[in-house]
Amino acid sequence: MTSNIQTIQLQIRFLTKQEQYAVPDIPFAVDSTITTDELNSLVNQLIKENSKEIYKKIEFDFLAGDHFIRTDLGQHIASRGLSSETVIDVEYVERLPAPEPQDCLLHDDWVSAVDVCNDWILSGCYDYTVHLWSKKGKHKLTIPGHTKAVKAVSWISENEDSATFVSVSHDQTALLWEWNMKDNVVECVHVCRGHARGIECVGVSTDKTKFATGAWDNMLKIWTTSMEENFGEDEDGETDSKRPKKEGKSQVRTPKMTLKGHREAVSGLCWLNSSELVTSSWDHTLRTWDISVGASVSQISGNKAFFDVNYSSLSGLLITGSADRHVRLYDPRSTEGGICKSTFTSHDAWVMCVRWSPTDERLFISGSHDAKLKLWDIRSPSVPLFDMVGHEDKILCCDWTFPDLIVSGGTDNTLRLYKTSDFKSLS
Amino acid sequence: MINTDKLKRKLTNEKVTKKKENEHETFSEDIIDDIPLKEIDLNDDSETDDESEIDSSNDEHEDGSSDSTVYSDSEEFESDEEEEHEDSNNTTTKLDNTTSESSIVKKGTSEAQENTQKSSKENDDDEYASHDTSDEEDIRNTVGNVPMNWYDEYEHIGYDWEGKKIMKPNQGDQIDMFLKKMEDPNFWRTVKDSQTGQDVVLSDKDIELIKRIESHKIPDKDYDDYTPWVEWFTSEVMDMPLRKFPEHKRSFLPSKDEIKKVSKYVHAMKMGWMKSRRAMKLSEKRKMERGPQFYMLWHSDDAAEEMRRIHNHIPAPKRALPDHSESYNPPEEYLFNQQELKKWNREKKSIGNKKLHFVPQKYNSLREVPSYKRFIRERFLRCLDLYMCPRAIKMRLTIEPEDLLPKLPTPKDLQPFPTVVSITYIGHTDMVRSITIDPFGQYLASASDDSSVRFWEVSTGRCLKAFNINGIGKCITWCPNQAVSLVAVAVERRILLINPQLGDSLVITKTDDLLDTPPPEDKLTSERIKAAVQWEHVSPSNDDWNKGIRIVLHHFKEVKQVSWHGRGDYFATVMPDGENRSVLIHQLSRRRSQLPFSKPKGLVQAALFHPIKPLFFIATQRNIRIYDLVKQEMVKKLISNSKWISHMAIHPGGDNVLVGTYDRKVLWFDLDLSTKPYKSLALHNQAYVQWIYHPFVLELGQEGRLILQFH
Repeated sequence: MTSNIQTIQLQIRFLTKQEQYAVPDIPFAVDSTITTDELNSLVNQLIKENSKEIYKKIEFDFLAGDHFIRTDLGQHIASRGLSSETVIDVEYVERLPAPEPQDCLLHDDWVSAVDVCNDWILSGCYDYTVHLWSKKGKHKLTIPGHTKAVKAVSWISENEDSATFVSVSHDQTALLWEWNMKDNVVECVHVCRGHARGIECVGVSTDKTKFATGAWDNMLKIWTTSMEENFGEDEDGETDSKRPKKEGKSQVRTPKMTLKGHREAVSGLCWLNSSELVTSSWDHTLRTWDISVGASVSQISGNKAFFDVNYSSLSGLLITGSADRHVRLYDPRSTEGGICKSTFTSHDAWVMCVRWSPTDERLFISGSHDAKLKLWDIRSPSVPLFDMVGHEDKILCCDWTFPDLIVSGGTDNTLRLYKTSDFKSLS
Repeated sequence: MINTDKLKRKLTNEKVTKKKENEHETFSEDIIDDIPLKEIDLNDDSETDDESEIDSSNDEHEDGSSDSTVYSDSEEFESDEEEEHEDSNNTTTKLDNTTSESSIVKKGTSEAQENTQKSSKENDDDEYASHDTSDEEDIRNTVGNVPMNWYDEYEHIGYDWEGKKIMKPNQGDQIDMFLKKMEDPNFWRTVKDSQTGQDVVLSDKDIELIKRIESHKIPDKDYDDYTPWVEWFTSEVMDMPLRKFPEHKRSFLPSKDEIKKVSKYVHAMKMGWMKSRRAMKLSEKRKMERGPQFYMLWHSDDAAEEMRRIHNHIPAPKRALPDHSESYNPPEEYLFNQQELKKWNREKKSIGNKKLHFVPQKYNSLREVPSYKRFIRERFLRCLDLYMCPRAIKMRLTIEPEDLLPKLPTPKDLQPFPTVVSITYIGHTDMVRSITIDPFGQYLASASDDSSVRFWEVSTGRCLKAFNINGIGKCITWCPNQAVSLVAVAVERRILLINPQLGDSLVITKTDDLLDTPPPEDKLTSERIKAAVQWEHVSPSNDDWNKGIRIVLHHFKEVKQVSWHGRGDYFATVMPDGENRSVLIHQLSRRRSQLPFSKPKGLVQAALFHPIKPLFFIATQRNIRIYDLVKQEMVKKLISNSKWISHMAIHPGGDNVLVGTYDRKVLWFDLDLSTKPYKSLALHNQAYVQWIYHPFVLELGQEGRLILQFH
């Protein structure tokens, strides 16, 4: 009797946006306890009946009410607040193949920063060095230069025989490097001085002409990326005569602009376009800054300290990692202020890094102190698509610049590479 | 008419010949006058003209004194014409008489004119010859213009001049008629004259006339329809007016009436009420160029016009319904007793607060109710209320008490206290006695029973620095001043001032510089203080210098606690066994120590500076005393009601003090409220060791539990 009550017959209809897997538009009556596996076999059977070719079984994922079905259908519908009396549209998409661990790059100390460009991986380490790796996992260079832990690195430009990048550290400097690939020689071109405490984050603007740094002195500073000599000298806006000049051939550069507004450390930043950027801070706020105006444009208040923020140019949304173990999705365009569009809850510890997929507007990854790197779909807020296990300790940084390569570094002294299949064709 | 004219002409011709003979006498007389000549010329013209032209000639004919009059009525004109002719004839005859002797000159020249003059005279003479005047009615019958059938029944048909009856002629019977018809060849042209009853035989001329009329022709055979037009009065403007008198002055003066009219037009044009033709044309042209203009009848195309009177109708206020007191037979309780009546009378004159405007009265029946005196008045006032008082819809804001409450965040977001371990700082090998966070919140320092001090990065749990301090660190405190990089550690009998070399490099070097140069000893310190504490600068060659230890203060007893003043220059140390020297205040800039109390205050457990005010808190076993450092007196005494206070902390705002005790309680004092604890919290199983106010309250329990509390 009780089982009768629990199992209700639901009317469902299968939809898909992938035309090669289309099935006839007929409603089916299924039990409410049906799971995705059963749905999957049902859809596969339907496709098999409809197609004349030899059919290979494909794994599908099912959405109802814009969210992935992770529990059985009845529970999902109840949680989404859908009516069980109407015909439910169940959309199915081909399931993403799981990312596979590809490589593990060993470092001497904690890996705190990573950035990927076309063929090269740049990683920052707590032993004050920056490392250069090829995408295949071959170590190219160890670059000493900083006097304290490196906190963030970022590529600026890359061409065939040379590349430039920037690294920031707790020694209050940002270093601009130029790498000559032929000779495999790195030269520190500029030392950017101006922050009064350790620099926490760096971001290169979309047009590659400037970069921003955020630090523990609550300031956001904008610098130019130009490699020309004596650039900083004629800038009379910010002079740091107090700071002793660093010996050596590299030039000291002063910031182009200093933006004040956060009340706590700036923990992460991301450029929206060539003149706007968004920063996350320990003072529980996200701020949007306009460089052309030179001030904070808008502010989103959260509930906990933010550790990282990332912006997707595909969807125009922000994701943040914060101290309460949740990943939150914000819309910077909304005028009502900080409205959290959705919260992704699965991590067990602080979420230190978040990155959007470069190709799919719905996918992103998050790395946390619980040693898990998670791949999320914004349609599945409670359960991630995949947990990428491998790290043995806290994850401090991750990157997904290159579409089929996810990189993460942590306090287990490793940089782990995960290979993802071609997501582009699926999305 | 034409006939008569012709007749007239004939007659005048005869008369002219007659007159000519008469006038031969007057020709010899000289009349030198130009004006009559002209007149006569005109008269001559007028002779053959029709009546209207004659009329105008008549005008000319008159002398200047008599004003010209225009007649529109032809009949009237006819009679008048005759009169005027008479007048002119009279004058001319007069003229003739008066100037008979003197006027000789005018002779042959005026012959023609004389002729015409005569003719006009003849015109007057043959007045009775023409048949078209009323005088020429058939006067044989005097009945007048009455229908003759009135006389049908009589044998007479009227009366003649003498008043005798005119008898009807013998009609004869039908046979006579027939015989006449047969015999008389003129029968067909014989008609009966109704006036006289006589038979009249129409002449050939008459018959022709009738025939012409019947065929719709002009009756006169000789009349030419197509006579050439003679322009008697030229339309051309003559240079000189044909007038015998000069133009009147008034014709040269602008007319006042016209001036009025013109000024009216000018004003209208100025005001734009009237437009010149050109302006009209221009505006017309512009209008054409602009094309047809359309206007919205409604506010907008889609939205319905808001009709205030219909959609926002404000109904008139309703009158209160009559109640029992207005009844003719009200219940007893509504009737006034003496007292109420008195009161009512007293309040009658005052406006407002009066409940009733009448006295309820009782009648036996409705018939006995007298007329209400104020009826008209009240109706009038009601009407005034209805149309004189503007009405408006008043929006009433109804605020529920629930709405005033602030919206609480969801418990998921709020989490009043951390529920799980966020981060673990791994490194210490023995019990951690005390921790402290740097003013920026970036670093954390801890002192432990494993004789080491460690510095951690808060966000990652990275141990940045660790060194041995040769003893158990009882208390560690970061200097609250952000411009100084210093940490004070209480190790057994020593206080170590450590530069952790974390944070701003500039601050680090500045702090080192500050501590390197000892100030000149300006004053001799007393022996009592010297015995209690000695300052020692660590030399850079020493190994401790590299650890970061800059100054060591050697105390005479074991130091339990060290606490900083908000500015970072002063710090206090507590030695519970120090008796009357148990509390020491040190000044960093002058490397000086003070003993604030001369008498022992009991077993001092903790000392604390107020973060803003110059207040100093001393916690003994049971009580907390608050001293004013400026006035050097006790301000307040907080009573804990517990057996043994272990620790004390103050909120950065300075209003709230938390006190931990060895009997496993946390007491919360609000300094503004009372000296008794505001709240008492029992949390730990064992005695409580330390806690820190940072973003959240951090408690360190002796049983190895760390409790974080959101505040």
